Parts: sequence; structure tokens; C-alpha cells
Amino acid sequence: MEILNVNDIRKTYTSRFGAQQVQALKGVTFSVEKGEYVAIMGESGSGKTTLLNILAALDKPTGGKVILDGMELSGIKESELAVFRRNNLGFVFQEFNLLDTFSLKDNILLPLVLGGEMKLAEMTGRLNEIASRLGISEILNKYPYEVSGGQKQRAAVARALITDPKLILADEPTGALDSRSSSDLLQMFSQINRNGQTILMVTHSVDAASHAGRVLFIRDGVVFHQIYRGDCSNEQLYRKISDTLTLLRTGGDKQ
Amino acid sequence: MKTGYAAKIAFNNIRKNYRFYIPHVLTGTGLQACFYIMLTLSMDKRLSQVKGGSVLPFFMTVGAAVMALLSVMLIFYTNSFLMKQRKREFGLYNVLGMEKRHIGRILFFETLYSAAASIILGLLLGVLFYKLCSLFICRLFQTDIVLGFYFIKANTLIPAAMSFIVLYFLTYIFNRISISRMKPVELLKSGASGEKEPRTKWIMLIAGIISLGAGYYQSLSIKDPLSALTWFFIAVFLVIIGTYFLFTAGSIFVLKALKKNSRFYYHAERMTAVSGLIYRMKQNAVGLASIAILATGVLIMISSTVSLYSGMQGTLDNTYAQHMYITADYVDENGETVLIPAEDMEGMIRNVSDKYSCKVLAVEEQEYFDAVYVMNGCDFELVSDQSASTDLSGLCDIYFITADMYEDLTGTRIALEDNEIAICRISSSIGHTKTPDKAVTIGGRGFIVKEHLVYFPISAGMGNVVTCYGAVLPNNEIMDAVFADQQIAYGKDASHYYHRTAVTFEDIETVSKNGDDIQESLYRNIADYALEHNARNGECSTRVDSVWEAKENILGMYGALLFLGILLGLVCIFATVLIIYYKQISEGYEDRERFQIMKKIGMSDAETRKTIRTQSLFIFFLPLIVAGIHTLFAFPILNRMMQLMMLSSTGLYIICSVITYIVFAIIYLLIYRATSKTYYKIVRL
Ligand SMILES: Nc1ncnc2c1ncn2[C@@H]1O[C@H](COP(=O)(O)OP(=O)(O)OP(=O)(O)O)[C@@H](O)[C@H]1O
Ligand SMILES: [Mg+2]
Repeated sequence: MEILNVNDIRKTYTSRFGAQQVQALKGVTFSVEKGEYVAIMGESGSGKTTLLNILAALDKPTGGKVILDGMELSGIKESELAVFRRNNLGFVFQEFNLLDTFSLKDNILLPLVLGGEMKLAEMTGRLNEIASRLGISEILNKYPYEVSGGQKQRAAVARALITDPKLILADEPTGALDSRSSSDLLQMFSQINRNGQTILMVTHSVDAASHAGRVLFIRDGVVFHQIYRGDCSNEQLYRKISDTLTLLRTGGDKQ
Repeated sequence: MKTGYAAKIAFNNIRKNYRFYIPHVLTGTGLQACFYIMLTLSMDKRLSQVKGGSVLPFFMTVGAAVMALLSVMLIFYTNSFLMKQRKREFGLYNVLGMEKRHIGRILFFETLYSAAASIILGLLLGVLFYKLCSLFICRLFQTDIVLGFYFIKANTLIPAAMSFIVLYFLTYIFNRISISRMKPVELLKSGASGEKEPRTKWIMLIAGIISLGAGYYQSLSIKDPLSALTWFFIAVFLVIIGTYFLFTAGSIFVLKALKKNSRFYYHAERMTAVSGLIYRMKQNAVGLASIAILATGVLIMISSTVSLYSGMQGTLDNTYAQHMYITADYVDENGETVLIPAEDMEGMIRNVSDKYSCKVLAVEEQEYFDAVYVMNGCDFELVSDQSASTDLSGLCDIYFITADMYEDLTGTRIALEDNEIAICRISSSIGHTKTPDKAVTIGGRGFIVKEHLVYFPISAGMGNVVTCYGAVLPNNEIMDAVFADQQIAYGKDASHYYHRTAVTFEDIETVSKNGDDIQESLYRNIADYALEHNARNGECSTRVDSVWEAKENILGMYGALLFLGILLGLVCIFATVLIIYYKQISEGYEDRERFQIMKKIGMSDAETRKTIRTQSLFIFFLPLIVAGIHTLFAFPILNRMMQLMMLSSTGLYIICSVITYIVFAIIYLLIYRATSKTYYKIVRL
């Protein structure tokens, strides 16, 4: 079943006085099946974050359509967007984006509390379940400044998962982590993906991308190429990705 | 680095940081202007020549001193704020390879520019508003405008400017030192690192409660006006400490308790509001406590000075039952002191009044004496060592007249047996025990209270802080006996009989205008009269106590107080504005990131606004409510001090306080609304 359909998305940034225009996305088209784990790669400035922001309805495209689980994003009213995001999407950011005024526990609970429909007992039930899965049960009462980067990122993942979202969007989630924490996180992503969670992850890291089921390459604002895992192991996928990247860099014109 | 380059960077920095610099410069400007005005007023000779203006230099000197203190505090406050915001920028310069002395040089120019702008603008404003202030003072003193107030006075312009130059130089030195101590790496990181959740400071919490409680208790328990004055300052001190402590520790305590209560806490709006508030209170407790204290200051200053000023007429009416009292005697050739007979006195008074075409309504001869007793239940006792009791509440002053005199003055006859008396409570200090209603002893003599009078024809003197009674005695013999009792008890401190002629005019307004001339003329007539009656060496003594003279005196004092109250009140409001403004923008910068994160997590703009409003309203109302409570508790002690200052109307004081509070709340609300705009702009919502 198709959960996300991105059709010919364009985004043009106009500078403040309209003098300069940057075409960040020139027509991106792809779709994601339910339960898929997709990585998006591309050079810096190729428009990955822009794409993610549009998928998250944090930004509006200048053209094209995004359909999430049968709903067109542009059709949602401004006032309902927040609720839509809360109910359907989970975010994991490069800089964790935990609120420093909340303990990890409160950070994780925040989306549910904002939703305002769930009983406290059910919320804590979910919290404990996810926390033990991610191995952060012990540190729930600590504050973000008291824990390591890897632990922060796990809390951020827990926050993304707790609403049971249709799609998890991750923007370079391993960017601020050391290799040990990165691989922990990637294992975690693979695991939740195996449990049926759809994940869309932007990354620069070949290692990170090699955990995914499919890798999209973006260049000059369009989807330039994609690789399916097929039956490859992580190592084989890793090699394929590096090859593609070398090709991209040397300016090959594939597809 | 070339000096010119530093000067240019400094200029650009000020432009870039206009949000912080504009209020800094405005503060300096306002303070400089007020300080200049105060200083000039305290030295303006012409102003002290205004009727009743002799007390002005003193009050204005006090005002200038207070202004100087406020200036130092406020300029350092805005400066510290400025520096806190800019330390990161300076850290960056430092990391990028700029030496600290170069940063110092840039800082020097920044200080120079802002100081120059503040001082020049401030003096300009000061000169402009000085004229206005002096006109305002003339209005307050109800005198005609004295022409020729100086517009510019170099002899105060220069010291006023110099003081501020020194002040700014001090801030520069202070900033230099803090820069030389800074570690750039730490500075770059500062702000980015998360903040600890504040702990509940138990000792501070308890100390705050005790201190505030003690301060309030002082105010509620003080009975007598004289000690109110000394205890007032102790109470103020205690309340200030208590306020700071409770804002710092108490708020965190309450918020954390709310947070512990999961059912309350895990709720869409409360969760973000409560946790946000915990951090805000940590950073802003001192600022908020300052607002609460400043607001209380404004409320107390303005309401008390306004009520003193507007209650002046009532005070005068209370103390002056008639308009003018004259006591005149001369020494005859045998060295005997002779009182001028009533008929002659009346003749002279009517004579003089006619000359100024003032109609005399009544001339009365009053004979009375008053003595101080210690009241003990129904006994008024003569206690010769009064200094032994510091507590004024037991003391009272009794004015005695005979039944004949009472009939003369009021036209009503009270028939009294030898052991009977009629008494009247003329005034009372708060907390005074009730008037004995059946029998009394006065200096050991027992009387039956025949009647309680509501009116007593002799008014008690001004500024009498003890309870005053009037007593009508049956006849001269008993009057003399009571008089003799106190003479024996008090010896040379005993009081004596007063004989005075009380005059009531028809139109006191016109009389007051010619008041000085009438008095002058009376003095001359009496001197002539003494000569005609062969006074030895023309020796005579005349004492005139008139309502217009009294009015002039209290007008001077109350007018000066009111002016000070208003000016200092304005400065305090200004300080409040400043604190709120800086609070709002610093919070804006901090909250921006937080709200952006929340947006991504799925908090709608409307929800965010709601959270912000909950937090802001709490923060907004807290100081205002606290100020209201402080004012309420300050009321008893202030009311007692007002008595000392001769204001007898409690009702008027209450009205003034309430009006001041409402006006202040409105101003506060407006300020808040205006600064909120800046906040929203920064948070970009
Ligand atoms: N708010 C904006 N206004 C104008 N141009 C922008 C804006 N945001 C991004 N751009 C431009 O759009 C292009 C794509 O930016 P984007 O942030 O999507 O890149 P990215 O692929 O995420 O890069 P990186 O890997 O470095 O994060 C860039 O050329 C960038 O300069
Ligand atoms: Mg990016």
C-alpha cells in the first residue's frame, strides 16, 4: 500500500527583494510504500531539507502535490496542520531539538499531552514501553543537558514514535553522533522498521543509508537515481551507494 | 587597530543592537533630565522665595539625592543587560583574533556615543521641562507665577553633566573588567547549553516568609504614630527582603508543586506554561520582585502625597475652628503684665478689618488651659515623668473650659453640679481605648460624666498626635483647682492659662489675600495701644496664629512632597517600563527556539499563542497583585504616619490609594501591551 506520494514537487526560494531566485526543487517525484525504509542522499545544497520540510507541511511547495495516506497536504487548513503533523508524522532532527525546559520524560510525552485526548495512565504506559525498547528507561527523569548526544537522540526518536505516526521523517539523525551512537541509532531504526514503521531519512552518511531498503539520490533539485536493496546485505548496499556517489561526483549522467 | 576603525565598528554595533541600545539611551536621557531638574530646583533661589517655598530647597535636595541613587541603579541595570546580550558577540570577536584591548576600544566608543547622546538629550529635555516644573510648583503652591525663572543655569548644568559622565565612565570601567575576565570559549557556548532546573531554596523560602510576615506584622501592630515613623523603615526593609526572597524561592516552590501533581501538569496548556514559568521565574524573579517593589513605591508615594495635599483644607478646618487667634499683653509701669481687655481688642480688630473691607462675623474671648494626662481606664492620671513612657497611646491632652465659657462660645448652657463634668473627644489616635462614659477621675479628682459633647469650641492645636479631649468644668473654682493640681505635678513644665481672642471672618478668601497686611496692621495698633497705656518702654507682646499663615506653611510642605512624589513616581514607572521591556526582549530571544521546536512537534500557532498568553498574564499580574497586597498591608502604618502629618481623613487616603492603583494598573497594562508587540515580533508569531 502506498503511504506517501510525492508528485512533481517544485520549490523556488525568492530572496527578500525578489532579485534572486533559487530553485531548490525542480520537480521531485517518488512514492513510498507502507513499511518501507527510504534514505535520501545528495550533496549539500541539493534540496534535501527543503524536501523534508515540505513533506512535513512546515513549508509550502511552489508547485506539485504531496499525498500522505490518501490526504493531500495542500488541502489541509492552516489551523489543522499542527494537529495533522501531531497525529501523522514523527520527527527526528539532526540537533535533537529537545526542549531544555523539560525532562526527557516530558519531552517524549509532549506530543501526546498536546493531543490532549489520552489518559495519563495510557500515556505513561506507552512511554514505558518505548523507553525500555530504546534503552532510556533509567534516564527518563534527567534533563537534556544532563545526558549524552546518543541518549538525547534516542529520546528524540522516542518522542517521534510515541504518537504511533504513519511516517517518521528524519533529517540527518546521525549527524551529531559519534560512530558508536550512530550505529546504535541505525540498528534501532532498522528494528522499528522491521516492526512495520515507515521511515524516510535524509542522510549524508553512506553507512546510514546502507541500512535502508531503498536509497534516493537527489541532484540539482530532482531525483537523479535510486537503488533498491533487493537481496543485498548492508555491506553490498554500502558498496553500491559509494559507487553511485563517485559517479555522481565525477558528473556522470545516469538514469 | 586604528582608532577610527574602532569608532566605526562601535557605531555599527550600536545600530545593529538598536533593540538594546535605544532603551539604554532613553533611560540615560530621562534620568539625566530628572536629575538636572531636581538639582536646579534645589538651588534656585527664586523658588525658595515663593510663598511657602522656604522648605523647597531641602526637599529638592533630598529628591536630587534619591534621583542620583536611582540613576546609578538603573544605568547599571540596563548596562548589565546590554553586556549580557553582547558577551557572545565579543567572545566571537575574541576567537576570531581580536585582542581584548581592541574590544575594549570598541566598547569605549560605544559607551562614548551612548553617553554623549544621553547626556546631551537629557540636558536639553531637562532645560525644557525645568520651566514646566517650576510652573507646576507655582500651581501647587497656589501662588502667582513668579516671572524670571532661569531657563538655563550653567551652575547646575555642568555638575549635572559631570555626574553622569562619571557614572558612564564607571560603567565603562566595569565592562572593561568583566571583558578582561571573560573566557571566549565559554562565552561562545553560553546560551546554547541547557539550563538546570532550579532547586527549591528552602532557607530562602523560610527567610522570605518570616521577613515578609514580620514586615506586615509591624505595620498591623504599631499603635502610636511616633514610633510608626521609625518602624516604617524597618518594615519597608523587611518587606523588600521578603519580596525578593519569595519571588525567588516561593515561586519555584509553588510551580514545582504544581509540576509534581501529574493530573494537573500533563495537560496541553498547563504543561508548557508551568515548565516555561519555572525557567522564567529563575531568570526573572529579581526583575519581577523589583517591579513589585517599584510599583508599591509608586503607589505609596503618589497616594500619600496626593491625599496629604488634597486633604489640606480638611486638616485646616479641623484645626482652626476660627480663623485667627490673638493673644496680646503689655507690661505696665509697675512691671506687671496686663492683658489687653476684650472690648479694646475687639475694637482694634474691627478697626483693622474695616480698613481692608473684611467683614468680621464673630469675635470671641477664649479662656482655657490644657494639660497632659496618662489615661488608665477611667482615670486620667498626672504622671510627672512622661519621658518614661515611650508609648504615646496612653497619653492624652485635655482642654478645660468652664461652663460659663462654654455658654459664651456656643450659646448653650450646660448645668453642672460641682462633681459633674461634660466631655468631648476632639481627636483620637488609632487604637485608643474608648472614652469613659460614666465616671472619671482627673488628677485624682472624681467627676460624674453628665454629658458627652460632639462639639467643643476650642480646637486642639495642629500636629497633636495624642488623643485630645475637651472638658467643661462646673465653675472657676474647680477649674483653678484642676489647674493647680497639674501645676504641682509638673512644676515648671506645667501649662498655663490661655487667653485669646478668636476671630471669625465672613469671607476668608479675601482676608487671606490681605492676611500679611492685616496682621502687620494689628501688630502696629497693639503697639500703639500699649504706648497709650503707658507701657514700660513700650513693651508689649502679640502672638497671632492665623489660618492663612498655617495654610501657607503646610502648602509649602505638602506641595513640595507632592511634587517629589509625582516626579519620583514617574521615574519609578519609567524604571518599571524598562525592566518589563528588557525582560520581554530577552525572553523573546530565548523562547524563539523553543517555540520553533514545538511547532515542529505539532503545536499550532494558536496553541503557542495561548501558552505565551498564560505565561505572560501570570508574570504580568504577579507584581501588580503583590504591589496591591503590599499597599494594603502598608495602609495601617502609613495611616498612622499621616496622622503625624496632620491628615485626619482616612477615607480620603483610601480613595487616593484606590485611584492611584487603578491608574497605575492601566499604565502598566499599556506598557505591557506595547512591549508584548516587540516580544511577538522577536518570536515571530
Ligand atoms: N529559506 C531559504 N531561502 C532561500 N534559499 C534557501 C532557503 N533554504 C534553502 N535555500 C536554498 O535552497 C537550496 C537547498 O537547500 P537545502 O537546505 O534543502 O539543502 P540540503 O540538501 O538540506 O543541504 P545540506 O545537506 O547542507 O543540509 C540551497 O541552495 C539553499 O541555499
Ligand atoms: Mg539540510
